[in-house]
Amino acid sequence: MIQLKTMLNCIDNSGAAVVECAMIVGQKRHASIGDRIVVVVQKQRPSAGEGMGGSSSSKVKRGDMRHAVVVRTKQRVQRRDGSVIKFDDNACVLINRAGDPIGSRVNGVVGQELRKKKWSKILSMAPMQA
Amino acid sequence: MSVAPLVRRPLGCLKTSLRQARQQRTTIRNMATETTASNSTSAPALEHGFFRLTDRKTKTLRSAFAVYPSTAKPAAPAGAPKTLLPPPKNPLEALHAAQIKKMDPTGVRTALFSKSNREGAKVGDILLVTHRRGGEPFAGVLLSIRRRGIDSAILLRNHLSKVGVEMWYKIYNKNVAGIEIVKRKPKRARRARLTYMRKPKHDMGSVDEIVNAWRRNRRVFTTGKPRKGGKRPAAAAAAGKK
Repeated sequence: MIQLKTMLNCIDNSGAAVVECAMIVGQKRHASIGDRIVVVVQKQRPSAGEGMGGSSSSKVKRGDMRHAVVVRTKQRVQRRDGSVIKFDDNACVLINRAGDPIGSRVNGVVGQELRKKKWSKILSMAPMQA
Repeated sequence: MSVAPLVRRPLGCLKTSLRQARQQRTTIRNMATETTASNSTSAPALEHGFFRLTDRKTKTLRSAFAVYPSTAKPAAPAGAPKTLLPPPKNPLEALHAAQIKKMDPTGVRTALFSKSNREGAKVGDILLVTHRRGGEPFAGVLLSIRRRGIDSAILLRNHLSKVGVEMWYKIYNKNVAGIEIVKRKPKRARRARLTYMRKPKHDMGSVDEIVNAWRRNRRVFTTGKPRKGGKRPAAAAAAGKK
């Protein structure tokens, strides 16, 4: 149940760590796994090369407005066969306007609902799907 | 439908129309009993003929007015008046029993989660659920068993890449190819639902290591040949047959 002001973990290597939901794209209700949202980057991930490059590895900055796809929700999501999945956190992956992921890798499990919503690029980047 | 007499004599018309409706209802009732009678003779004898869904081969539809299950005596005289039969005693229970029998003909799924079965799965055990439609099998701690007849489900919890994941699985789902007990809880859990295991203090974390160790051990005891799909040792409480 991602809605306005929901804080989500960003699980790609775009440089964002925590983002806040600002809008749900294309629908008037809360977002679930596979839905597109607009987020504001609230916290940056500390970059590995802190001394030299600063934020060279991070493609986004604090305060940036980006699009994202929800990949995990705390809210239970029911599937067609009656099974239900629930994660312990809300997480998303940043994308650009065309729908391509900004980061180059995804750390962590993502929901299988992405397959139904045609986010095959994110699915192929994820280490596992549940 | 003539409108003119209705305007002229509303009351009388209402009366006639009501009478007509009553007649129609009686004919419908008669038709209904007819259909049940024919059903009971033609359909193969099943303890709950009612709960059979539409036969895919014959494409026969149930009548919306039929009365189930048919308790008509076969030796009824042909000229006897046909009446509506009383409804079955506990229809929902019978429906669940019939559906469970259909989804689980061997009874292993029911046995695995029955309260009376000492060998069955209990809350706190680590279970492994295998899917028929590909995908990785999901292992996790059994947090609760939801006993609701055909809708019975189990709740498993695990950590996948350091994120807690909980899955509900319907135990009578045909896509659930097998449910295996990987490790039993050494001491019986004193709660029916282990929701406290979501708290960080009691969280088990990932059970993947335990499952992997169990897999390795199991391979030692088998002949070493690659397993065929769906075939499991009998002791492992496999559920679901082809």
